[in-house]
Order: sequence, then C-alpha cells, then structure tokens
Amino acid sequence: MNTAQPPLLDVQDFSLEFRTRSGTVNALQGVNLRLHKGEIVGLVGESGSGKSVLSYALLGISDAAAKVTGGSVRFGGMELLQAGKDALSELRGREISMIFQSPRTALNPIRSVGLQIEDVLRRHAMATRGRTGPDQALGFRERAVQALREVAIADPERRFHAYPFELSGGMCQRVMIAIALACRPSLLIADEPTTGLDVTTQASVMDLITALAREREMATLFITHDLALAAEYCDRIVVMHAGHAVESAPTRLLFTQPLHPYTARLMSSTPARDSTLASLLPVPGQLPDLRRSDLPACRFVDRCERAAPRCRESLPPLDSSAEHSTACWFPLNGAAAAELESCP
Amino acid sequence: MSTLKHARHILAENPTTGIATVMFLVFLLMALFGPWLVPFDPLDTSAGKPLSAPGASHWFGTDALGRDIFSRVVVATRLDLGIAFSAVLLSFVIGMPLGLAAGFLGGWWDRIVSRGADTIMAFPLFVLAMGIVAALGNTVGNIILATAVINLPFYIRVARAEANVRRNAGWVEAARLAGNNDLRILAVHVFPNTLPPAMVQVSLNMGWAILNAAGLSFIGLGVRPPEPEWGILVAEGAQFIVSGEWWVSFFPGAVLMLAVFTFNLLGDALRDIFDPRKRT
Amino acid sequence: MNISPTPPLLRVEGLSKRFALAGKKGALLHAVDDVSLHIEPGESLGLVGESGCGKSTLVRLLARLLDPSEGRIEFDGLDLATLPARRFARLPQRTLIQMVFQDPSDSLNPRYTARDTVTEPCLLLAGMNRSQADARADEVAQQVGLPAELMSRYPHQLSGGQKARVGIARALAVKPRLLILDEPTAALDVSVQAVVLQLLDRLRREMKLATLFVSHDLNVVRLLTDRVAVMYLGKIVETGPSASVFEQPSHPYTQALVSSIPGLGPRVRLSGEVSSPIDPPREVCRFASRCPAAQDICSRQYPASRDAQGQPVALHHSGHQSACHFAHWPLPAQAA
Repeated sequence: MNTAQPPLLDVQDFSLEFRTRSGTVNALQGVNLRLHKGEIVGLVGESGSGKSVLSYALLGISDAAAKVTGGSVRFGGMELLQAGKDALSELRGREISMIFQSPRTALNPIRSVGLQIEDVLRRHAMATRGRTGPDQALGFRERAVQALREVAIADPERRFHAYPFELSGGMCQRVMIAIALACRPSLLIADEPTTGLDVTTQASVMDLITALAREREMATLFITHDLALAAEYCDRIVVMHAGHAVESAPTRLLFTQPLHPYTARLMSSTPARDSTLASLLPVPGQLPDLRRSDLPACRFVDRCERAAPRCRESLPPLDSSAEHSTACWFPLNGAAAAELESCP
Repeated sequence: MSTLKHARHILAENPTTGIATVMFLVFLLMALFGPWLVPFDPLDTSAGKPLSAPGASHWFGTDALGRDIFSRVVVATRLDLGIAFSAVLLSFVIGMPLGLAAGFLGGWWDRIVSRGADTIMAFPLFVLAMGIVAALGNTVGNIILATAVINLPFYIRVARAEANVRRNAGWVEAARLAGNNDLRILAVHVFPNTLPPAMVQVSLNMGWAILNAAGLSFIGLGVRPPEPEWGILVAEGAQFIVSGEWWVSFFPGAVLMLAVFTFNLLGDALRDIFDPRKRT
Repeated sequence: MNISPTPPLLRVEGLSKRFALAGKKGALLHAVDDVSLHIEPGESLGLVGESGCGKSTLVRLLARLLDPSEGRIEFDGLDLATLPARRFARLPQRTLIQMVFQDPSDSLNPRYTARDTVTEPCLLLAGMNRSQADARADEVAQQVGLPAELMSRYPHQLSGGQKARVGIARALAVKPRLLILDEPTAALDVSVQAVVLQLLDRLRREMKLATLFVSHDLNVVRLLTDRVAVMYLGKIVETGPSASVFEQPSHPYTQALVSSIPGLGPRVRLSGEVSSPIDPPREVCRFASRCPAAQDICSRQYPASRDAQGQPVALHHSGHQSACHFAHWPLPAQAA
C-alpha cells in the first residue's frame, strides 16, 4: 500500500438524498473517503449511518429515488458521477466489484453457480486482461472452475454444476466472491459479507477475502457494523454516523486514540473479552430523523456530551488525505484542530 | 391514523384511485336510488317511439318495445350489483376459512381442500356456472350460487397462500405462547393479516361476477325479461346492431364495461386502505 | 461432585427430537439428540452453537411449541413433555415458560398495537379483564423502559430497540418462572444491544427470573449467564460455569468457537465437512470429521461427559464438563 500514489478511489464532499413519500431523506452529507491500491479499509457504522447507501452510490446502482446533490467520486481518474450508463456498466464487475449480504439471495437461484461465474467472464470478455485468441471459448469454463478453486471450494469441477440451494451459506458466499473477483477488479466493495454466517465460517470467509486482496493488491472497502471484525482485518477504518463520515484512522490508532466521541461510545458499547455489563456504555439518544430540514451541522450533537453551540452551526470537514482525521470541533484528545498527523 | 383519515389520504394520492372511487359511488347511488331517480318507468312500453335514437328526451334512446333504455340501464344496476355482491360474499365466507385452514394446518385439510378447488378449476368456469344453473333451476338465487361456486377457488388459493407464508412467522409462534390455540390464531391473528390481498381479490371478483351474471342472462339463463339486467339488455339489442340501431346494445354494454373497470381499479385502493403498514 | 440441594427449576433428561424426512423413506433427522440439562431457580443458562446445531429445535421443545420424540422436561417436578404442544397454549402451565424472540420485527403482529400485544397474554392466560390487563401492560411497560405514549403504536412505527422492549414486555406480562431468550439482540444495532442487555440483566435480578439465553455471540453470552452449554449437531458437547468455559474451553469445538471471536489471537481452523444429522451413527463422536485432535477411538465410541479431572460426571452436574475423549488436550493453534 503506497499512500504517496494518487488514490484509486477518491470520494469528495459527496452528498445524496432520497425523495420519499414522507419527505426528503438526507442520507449522505459531505462524505470524504479515499482508498489506495492494495488498501483494506473498513467502513463501520450502525443502521442508518449510510454505509450501504454510499457503496451502492459508488457503483451507480442506487435506488431510483436517490439523487446525488453534490461532490465527486473519482475512480482511477474518471469521474463516476458523470459517467454514462454504458461506461459504468463496463466498470462494474471488471474494475469495481461488489459482494453482498445474504449470499443465497444474491445469487440467481435457478442457474448453476459455475454458469453464473461464466456470465461475468463473458460479459467482460473483450476487456478481460491477458486473454486473447481462439481458445477464448474453452477459456470461460476453465476460468470459472479456476475461480472456484481460488476460493477454496473443494472439488470445483463437480461444484460447477451445483445450484445455490444445494450449497451452505459459507459456500454461497465463496461463490459470490468468485463471481466478484473473476475479472480481477482493482476495487472490491464487500457489503456485510459475513453477517448471518456462523462465527467459524465468518472467520474463514474473511481470511479468504483478505488473502485474495493482498495477493492481488486489490483495494477493498469492507462495510460492516461489527467494529471488532473490522479491527481484525482492516488497515484503516472510517466510522460513519447518520450520513457523515466522522473519523478516519489506521486501525490501531483508532482503538488506542479514538478522536470522535461517537467512535469512543461505539467501542465502549461493544462487548469485548473483558467487559462487564456495567462497563458497557451505550450511545445515548437516537439517530436524528434525516428527513428534517433543520438538521444541525453535526448530526451527533444531540447525543454528545461535548456538544457546544458551534457544533450546530458548522462542522470541520474530514480530511481524507490525513492519516488520522475527525470531523469534530472537540475531539477527544483535546486538540481543537480537526486534523492530526501521528508520528510513525 | 384512523381508517377514514387514512382512506382519504390514499384516495387523494392517486388520481386513478380517486376516479375509481367516484365511479363506484355513482354506481352505488344508481343501485340504491335508481328506481326513484329515473325519468321513465323501465317497464313502460309507451315511454316513447320504439327504436328511437338517443336524443334529448331519451338519452340512451328507446328499445324495440318503446321502453327508455336509460331508465332500464340505471335500474338494472341494482340487480347486477346485488347479484355480484351476494355471490362474492358467499364465496368469501366459505372460501376464506377453507383456504386458511388448508394453508395453516396443512396435512389432510390441505389435500382435501386443494383437490376440491382444483376440481372446480378443471372446468371452464362459465360452462360450469351454466351447468349449475341449468341443473338447479333458472332463478336469480341459483345464479348467485353458481357464481359463488366458480369463484371459490380464488379465495381458497389466496387464503391458503397467505396462511402458508404466515404459518412460520415469529408472531404466530409468539401468539401460541400468549395463549392462543390454532383456531384463535387463524381467526384473530392470521385472517386480518391476509385481508389486504383478499380485498384485491374481492374487488376483481366483483367485476368478474357482474360479467358472469350478465353472461348467463345473455344466453337466457337466470334473470328473465322484462326484468332489466345488463346482460339481458345487451341480448335484447343484439339483433338490432346489424340493422343500424346500435344504441340498444351499446349503452348497456358500455355501462357494464365501466362497472367492471371500476371494480378492477378499486381493488388496489382497497388493499392500500386495509394495510396498516401504509399508515405513516 | 456439584449437586445442589434444592431441586432445579427445570430438569431436562434424555430429550430427543427426530424429524422424518420427506422423500427418503425411514431416514430421520436427529435435530436434538439425548440432551440433558438443568436450570436452577434464578439461574441464567447460556446455550451457544452455530446454525444447524439444533438449538432452535431445543428451544421450541422447551417452550412447548413442539413435542419431543422422547425424554422428560420436568418443571418444578411436573413433566411438561406429557402435555401435548397442540393443547399447551390453553393450559395454565403456559404461563410458566415464556420466550423473547430473535427478530423483533418478525415477532410482533403487524396489525396489533404494542398495547394489544402486551395485553393479549394477560387476557388469555392470566384471566384478567380488560382494565386489569391494561394496568398490567402499563406496569410492565414501565419496567422495560417503554414510554407510555408508544403503547398505542404499530410495530412499523417503532424503532428496533422499542420493538425489542415490546417483545420483552409481552413475555414478562404473565410473570413466567422461566424466560427463554432466543438471540434477543441479534437483530439490533450494537448501541441498542448494550441497552437491552443491561435491561435484561436488571430484570432478571429484580424478578429473580431463571433464564435460558440462546446466542451465537459468545461475548454477549458470557456477560449475561452463570453457566453455559455448547451444542453441536444436536448434542451438548460442553457445559459449565461461563467464565470457566470461555477462559478454558476444553472441548475442541468450543475451543474453535472461542478462538473465532475476532481479536482474540490465533484461530483454530476447522477443516472437513460437517457430518450429517440424518441417521448419525450412534457410536461416533459428531465432531470427529472436523476435529483437529480426532483419533481412532473417536469413531468407535461416543465420548461420555467428563469433568476437568477426566472423571465421568453425574447427569446434572453443575461444574465444567465436556464430552470428549481428550478434553483439555491443548490443540495446536494455527497462526492467523
């Protein structure tokens, strides 16, 4: 991972809203996020934080009611928000891939898993790196079997013909990983890939994703609500709350020196090895209603014990180029500045 | 939000729903107050010159016996809607419990009820209705019965599907823990939750039942002339289409079509009104 | 030996549930196989295991929503297994055992307000009239921290945490002696989860309630339970005081489970296929096909439960015990 290089994915000041029957939901506001090649970043937040919404927006597969209201998303130099449907369609699966929650429902139930991998290969056949020539047709079947082997599915030739319902949850997730990585994308977005899987299966799926990511130097955005899981596998973590990215830090630093009050509360409410019930400090209050038109600048202000009138007026931006940054006027280490550099 | 307020909200939202509701109310008024509102006695053969075209005094023209078609069409509403409503009600009251039991309890219940429904559906439904009326006798009551019978499978299927889905829902198990036995769960918990899709079915069935009754009368089964009924009115005018007096069949047919159309549109609105999840 | 002088509140012996499989003649799925456990009055027993281990079936057997194939479920001396599940809903014993469900969104009738949901068991089981039931509903709503104005709302108008409280209030309304909690916080956000867990613990202590806490989240189970039982493929493989089982897991499966918790260092990797719960051979350890420490004897003799000293234990022993021929062998921990 080389942060001196320009970032592979650069999200700046990204805002998005949903128009619904009951009002306009300000789902994302001023989000700054950067991913470099080969970096594994965890996007952590609870329900309503906007983490999934952000990932769908990056791929251009948001709900029809979604409307981007500002900012830019640059991928490898290309501005995704202005790309046409065809350009985005070319990117998906080939350069940017996504794996979803609930693997069994994300796979086509009436098509064998091997064919589903082949479908992706065929779709991007012309642009698939490194394969040209007359043996292309044979190549698809073999490459699909190879993809199954790469995700540690035993007996891949036989499993090629299996249907999703015949496979366990963990295996379905591996198939989804195989589909996502078939064309060797440079960015993988994993949206809660292990939620709903057993804890032992979860561990092996996460091991697989990170091993493949390292091996292929693939940037990975790992979306989860489980802070401990993110801590285990990610180089860097970005914490989201109510549509804002509130803190970004290398994993170790996030846990030893959390800057944003929400991050600290999130950690203290997660049961850990040596917690007791009394030591769990839940996050007070509730998420603000994102349909309000009078939302304060900092959306955590009504739940924060360090809040001041200034927090309602304005918010310092999260600096995605800094190593450890938070969008807070009164970060926990007492420094008033919103940007921090940490000594190597 | 109370049901009425919620209903108004739904109706205001979607213009087609609003139109359908207005039309439904018009038909309802026609059915209830028709006989008193019409300009002529529907059975009066001296209302006007026979086979006169639509005009100022006879909006829909007159038929071969000199009766005012407009009056006949309006008064027929009562009979048509009445037959359809009774048939649908009968179907609902018998079909829903059978379907719920089949879907929820499974086993033998399911086998018997499903095979029964399949047997009914094996016949071309209109032919079956004809057969029932022919066998039991040519009365309005038997039209209602026949229409109810051929509509049973739809209710059985809807109820069965909905009950089957909800059988394993968490709140069904929770209801058992709260002291509900199977019967009570079906009646108090599952049934109200299956109402929304059932309501759509009810409305569509009303349209179908009207068509069915009209169809049976058209071929001479069921309602006898001179009783005004849309199907009969269309039948009476069928022979005149070729000779140019189009209005005798056209207007009854058009109103029949509008009625069926109204009920189809209403189905969606009814489902929205009954679904508490749409109350925000 | 650790046998408590007072009889346990719940004593389960030799409980089994076998399901006939559609299609395969005579094949039986052993969802719960010869399970024995006990819960003392006021004690909290945890039940952990992954999907397919049979804990949902076990829970439904204990809650009397399902009839066992064989075995005894003794509650305060009365064998509840003899009362058929079909009729149990209307029996007075129904109030003894209540349950809080996993998914609050799925376990509330979408057409019932919170008040309807909480008053229903009072009306049906506790013989109260409407005003008594309302009073009780208000009382228990306050105990679970549910504001009175939320009682007239429908589930879709409540947040996840509020729905969870309604489910808890419903279970407590008829003052049960045993409360089964089936993954009560699994569907909740972590901050709400903390609040609900603290609430459950407080209620348990205040009402001196015995609880069976089922969860796949080991950290959570550790916080709320006195003892814990680990289930695998229909059988209980390890039980004991929670602290002891988590600090020093002795069954290889428990060791793998505990090591899979993120952040706890090297993980035990399980390989091989999970053995089938259909007609399992009686004398083979269920975990043998995946066990890193499996030996010949594991496929020839089903291991008896032994304590930390390797001695066989009595049926309702409260100390730390596991069903493994080689309990306490330290497993080779593979590097992460």
